[in-house]
Amino acid sequence: MVGASQLALMGRLPTADYQSEAELLAACRRREIGAFEQLYRTHGARLKSIAYHTAGNRQDAEDAVQETFLKAYRAIDGFTGASAIGTWLCRICINACYDLVRKRQLETDRTQPEGPRISPQPQQALRAQLDQALGRIDARRRMVFLLFAVEGMKHSEIAAILEIPEGTSKAWLFEAKRELQRLLTETRS
Amino acid sequence: MIFQCGDLERALRTPELMPDARAHAERCEHCRTQLYLWAEISRVAPELHQDWESDRLWPRIQASLMAEPVKARSRFSPFLRLTLAAAATIALAVVLLYPRHTMPPADELLTDAALSQVQQAEAAYAASIANLAAVAGPELQKSPSPLSAAYREKLTMLDSAIAALKTTAAQNPYNAYLRSELASLYGEKKRTLEEWMKDAKRN
Repeated sequence: MVGASQLALMGRLPTADYQSEAELLAACRRREIGAFEQLYRTHGARLKSIAYHTAGNRQDAEDAVQETFLKAYRAIDGFTGASAIGTWLCRICINACYDLVRKRQLETDRTQPEGPRISPQPQQALRAQLDQALGRIDARRRMVFLLFAVEGMKHSEIAAILEIPEGTSKAWLFEAKRELQRLLTETRS
Repeated sequence: MIFQCGDLERALRTPELMPDARAHAERCEHCRTQLYLWAEISRVAPELHQDWESDRLWPRIQASLMAEPVKARSRFSPFLRLTLAAAATIALAVVLLYPRHTMPPADELLTDAALSQVQQAEAAYAASIANLAAVAGPELQKSPSPLSAAYREKLTMLDSAIAALKTTAAQNPYNAYLRSELASLYGEKKRTLEEWMKDAKRN
């Protein structure tokens, strides 16, 4: 456990800047906290957003991001550098989110067998309608849409994160958009 | 081309067909809506990116990382690590299993007085080997030759086996067999250090 005084001290720790990804990776392998902080500063916002859309709320999203960094810290020696660190973190984050969602689902099944998680209150704005529709499409297609259209990633990066061919990523994006289009048409009619 | 509503799906996949699709959509409300939604989905999607202030998240992560035990960084290759682990496991298995089958405990258990003598002798022996290692160590660590690397690996294996055996011996202090095995490992370490020193002088 880390005490309050240590936490206070941590807040004052200087942050190092690692110029190249190789330098950053080497520092991560030495378990330098500053290196992980740089990873957080670079990738944290995107990870939070992905986690939010997968887990469904901010608290769970933050838990998933924390779990992501903990897993990365433990597993950094096994990371070969075949992909970018950000890609690797995204993969860990998505898996952490799925684990969390499964856990929450079990808890919900035990405590609230009937209640829907998302409020059925109708949303009029297209953004809100899209957000809701996104929650209703196939999880794999949703993830590709999220990474490409929401987070602005390339198909090559998505393919590396989800361990699928690039062509599959493109096909799933198209199918996601078609499904969203269908759901939005239903909502509007 | 005479564009019909059924061609819309193909047009969405094929950018070359889009001008025809748009021309058709001017006359068809259904396709107009579909095209509008298709474009709007891509336009609005980036707005779904979620960002919020979370000042306490990094300190939380930092605290959890700092609470993690720092793994000892191995200086050896994965192959050597595997070899060392296998050697240590075999040494431990031999030590743990062998006495059960061969040792008549009544004859080979030490008395308190004998144990005290053995421990004193063992400590003196270990100290003398440590002195020898201190003399040879810096030169051995510096030497870049493959032979020196082999000696370093052997010494590391011996240290690992000695540490494992010392732990077992501490749990069974009266076991004479374990004591003699420990002495033989110390002896092997001494011989290895002496051999290296001889080789180093020759070269």
